[in-house]
Amino acid sequence: MAEARITYPPPRTAWDRYNPIRLIGEVSETRYWMYLLLLPSALLICAVVIYPTLYGMQMSFREMRLNRPDLGTDWVGLKHYARMLADPIFWVSLRNTAVWVTSAIALEFLIGLVAALALNRNLPGSKVLAVLILLPYFLPNVVAGHMWALMLDPRLGVINDVLVHLGWLAGYKAWFADPSTAMAAAIVVEAWHSFPFFTLLILAGLKGIPIDLYKAADIDGAGPFAQLRLITLPMLRTVIAAAVILRVIGLVNSPDLLLILTSGGPGRSTQVLSLYAFQTAYKDFNFGYAGALSVVMFILLMGFAWAYVRLSKVNED
Amino acid sequence: MTSRFDRRSVLKMGGGLLAASALLPRAAFAQSTAINYWHTFTSQSEFAGLDEVMKLFAAAHPEVAVTQENIPNPEFMAKVTAAVVSGSRPDVTMVSSERFADLLAMGALNDLTDKIAAWDRRSDFDDVRFASISKDGKVYGVPAFTFVDWMYYRKDWFDEAGLAPPTTYAEFRDAAIKLTDPAKGRFGFGMRGGAGGQAYVINVMEGFGAKLMHEDGSISLDRDKAIEAVDWWSGLLVKDGVVPPSAPNDGFRQIMEAFQTGQTAMLWHHTGSFQDNAKLLKAGVEFATAAIPAGPVNRVSRLGYAYNTATKPETIDASWEWIKFWGEPDAAVAFLEKTGYFPASTKAAQDERISGNPLYKPAADTLGFGIPSPSFPGFAGWSESVVLPAFQRVLIKEATPEQAVDEMIDGLNQAIA
Amino acid sequence: MATLSINSIRKSFGAVEVLNNIDIQLEDGGFLVLLGPSGCGKSTLLSIIAGLETSSGGDIVIGDRNVNDVHPKDRNIAMVFQSYALYPTMSVRRNIGFGLEMRKVDAREREAAVDRAADLLQIGHLLDRKPGQLSGGQRQRVAMGRAIVRNPELFLFDEPLSNLDAKLRVEMRTEIKRLHDRLGTTTVYVTHDQVEALTLGTQVAVMKAGVIQQLADPETIYTKPANMFVAGFIGSPTMNFLRGTLEAGAGGLQLRHAGGTLAMPGLEQDASTHLGREVVAGIRPESLHGGEAAAALTGIVDVVEPTGPDTMVVVKVGEQLLTARLGPKHRPRPGETLRLGVDAASINLFDPETENRI
Repeated sequence: MAEARITYPPPRTAWDRYNPIRLIGEVSETRYWMYLLLLPSALLICAVVIYPTLYGMQMSFREMRLNRPDLGTDWVGLKHYARMLADPIFWVSLRNTAVWVTSAIALEFLIGLVAALALNRNLPGSKVLAVLILLPYFLPNVVAGHMWALMLDPRLGVINDVLVHLGWLAGYKAWFADPSTAMAAAIVVEAWHSFPFFTLLILAGLKGIPIDLYKAADIDGAGPFAQLRLITLPMLRTVIAAAVILRVIGLVNSPDLLLILTSGGPGRSTQVLSLYAFQTAYKDFNFGYAGALSVVMFILLMGFAWAYVRLSKVNED
Repeated sequence: MTSRFDRRSVLKMGGGLLAASALLPRAAFAQSTAINYWHTFTSQSEFAGLDEVMKLFAAAHPEVAVTQENIPNPEFMAKVTAAVVSGSRPDVTMVSSERFADLLAMGALNDLTDKIAAWDRRSDFDDVRFASISKDGKVYGVPAFTFVDWMYYRKDWFDEAGLAPPTTYAEFRDAAIKLTDPAKGRFGFGMRGGAGGQAYVINVMEGFGAKLMHEDGSISLDRDKAIEAVDWWSGLLVKDGVVPPSAPNDGFRQIMEAFQTGQTAMLWHHTGSFQDNAKLLKAGVEFATAAIPAGPVNRVSRLGYAYNTATKPETIDASWEWIKFWGEPDAAVAFLEKTGYFPASTKAAQDERISGNPLYKPAADTLGFGIPSPSFPGFAGWSESVVLPAFQRVLIKEATPEQAVDEMIDGLNQAIA
Repeated sequence: MATLSINSIRKSFGAVEVLNNIDIQLEDGGFLVLLGPSGCGKSTLLSIIAGLETSSGGDIVIGDRNVNDVHPKDRNIAMVFQSYALYPTMSVRRNIGFGLEMRKVDAREREAAVDRAADLLQIGHLLDRKPGQLSGGQRQRVAMGRAIVRNPELFLFDEPLSNLDAKLRVEMRTEIKRLHDRLGTTTVYVTHDQVEALTLGTQVAVMKAGVIQQLADPETIYTKPANMFVAGFIGSPTMNFLRGTLEAGAGGLQLRHAGGTLAMPGLEQDASTHLGREVVAGIRPESLHGGEAAAALTGIVDVVEPTGPDTMVVVKVGEQLLTARLGPKHRPRPGETLRLGVDAASINLFDPETENRI
């Protein structure tokens, strides 16, 4: 290390050698500096991410029901996981989670892509439009959820009003009271709320595509759709993969919107894993089972991210 | 996870926050002890009532400064659990009857038996008021006010149809059928099938004789009677069509709005929504009140209590001043007048301002025959995450009453295992 | 293959005139170089020819077809971009064949065409790589492959060599010349590099601020620049400008300048109209030599820059600095007085007011 260290200018006095600022300066010239800079965030991650994660994992192998101290907190092995296999609610939630996440993200991606392509044209007014389009994303889930709960309300909802006036609906519809529309309505709300995330990332990605490629494609005879399919989308692959993974993680883990709109109902038609884990922990106080549910979600997400990165070949170039 | 609120909270949050901010400056003049009060008040009228009580308390007890914090109902247990586990407890916490068992099991509550025994106003209360906050001879809180279940009905519509307010489930259903008129956009009853609807399902099951807690201390659900009850109750939607089709997702806000905007003829709730209804409908003319009708086997009208409990042992003395203040007749009546919530103190309930008002009579009557909600560890979770979804499945015709009740019984066995 | 006619092309962005009545006729198989400093409008003109931009007026005619309203893909042209514009996610093979693919050319035929182009450019071994795995020169070849594979009527090059290092640039320049000789395709080539312009073009259009300053073959551009801008833009080091008064002398016209008088025997230009008036004499550095001549200049050596084959000597004549390209053996010392012979026949005279060649 000593020989790797670059000391410039050389120490002039004995005190200079121990001057802390000087010492920091010297360390900053070595390759250890990187680790030093990473240390605070690494510690923070350990404290707020790794420790709770491990804690949650060990919890899933224990009996832990806060309202039943009589049961103790002993190790129960795979009991919770075994119960999960036989738990119809778990399977319904798993299926709903898949539907919820896949449909919402597909919709978000499509709307986000169209919005980004439109904004990327730099037509007059597109700056203002860009801000307007991003607005939904700035709303907290809670506010967005309540706003839409009101707009879709069977009695006061403006959306019912509009649809009835347009003649598309015979009468006011209780969107969240009907299992065939509850999930779809929630997906629309989620897509509305989060498509700007895709717009934002795709727009940034679009700015990175050289304009010459489109000129070349024009001359080569590729129409707008071929350009989108063969140039734009492949060039956005990394951005899209990152956006999708981030959004999937966010959506799988966050029960907020469904909690507000439907609480998983009616029946269990919009029950998803995150909501089920949340309810198991904070309504049933069964932290052991909730921990096991969370571990399964964690594993599913890891598996998804791994498979997705592999399949989308983002690592190739 | 971010904070979350239920539907009713955001609707009323605006007014609530406004009221809350008006209360805040008082904290700045804290003299000796400052205590923090967690509660679940959300509506404007509730905040007005709390504000009134705090004003009275500040005048009577300048040595204790109370700051209040609203914890919305849906996240209440999560926040309290987190506070208990992490050691950041509030000084005083409002605990409703059905949450007592869980919170006591969690070790959140402190024993107030001796303080209550020595309290000069203890004799103002019937012993039964403390039943849902006591366990093994120890008492953990003082009832601040009472949730008296009753019924609001459209007096004008009933008069027009020549109907008297129903006293049994059968009369209730008849009236609902008669008052349902799709042409006018009227439904006989505003059923709460969404968030919070589980309590009504359990009440009706008990009304049909399917009691949850038995004399011998065991807990179980009589399958046949429960099926009968679920069939009848869900039938109001799926067979009779006397409740709005939105019922499977209708929570507090929706049933209130439906009643207040003239879409439903009857509404089951407690006295706490009286003032809110009276703001939009003329009390005594457009709407009146009645006791909850009796079921074929049992008459199930709930008396629930909001107890104030001392959750932080270090400040128990100052907390006690605040806890017992809610038993003062002036405070209780002031709160009633702002909200409609009934006093828990018998003495306060006899106040002329209450007994002289005929609209309050059904509530006063209910105090006589009303019964507390079942309470055992796991009850709240089971009723919310098993009973309600199972019942909703019947409402949306995804399950039969038999299937729903079997689901409930399975869930119950797991909860108490 | 086809001729190209650029007829009165104008382009303005709002009030800003970018191209001002451009007229160029390019013969079949010709190689037109659009040369000028950045911002002169040469790339805009190329884009208009390609159809990537619309003109504000005028016509583009390829062969006998007016293509004003024809989409780029239907103009039967191919273009090589400065950035190469290779599709990064496609293999080299697909890049080259992309235009054919889009035109629904059958796969086997396409394959054959790609192989032919790849052979011609010696990139057969790169066909399965992605553009990201290629060097700059290789990418350049691929870009050219993409252009030639379709056998278009017109090649368009937009500063194709400016992203290459000096050595590669020379190499690729030769390659382009060879390709043009071989294929004979009519070509328009945009550059700001005068060497490229002079070596490649059969016609060079020197542009400035949206106006063509001179349109001619490279030799004319070099030896008879139409104005001082062209004269100064072409050649390295640039042409020397010596100001003085035009007089009639014993052996013909002569220039009286601050450092003396320069006789100009054998001057090709007829400048008698400017007798007695101020003129600027443009003298290429290589027209100054160390030997004796009828015409000569005397000055004081300022700077000496040996470059290997030549020695550049900056000489102060009167108050004006002139650069001479001398043989490698000449090594005058700064401060020394130097007498330079002038090849008077190659002198160009300009009118200092209009800056045009007299």
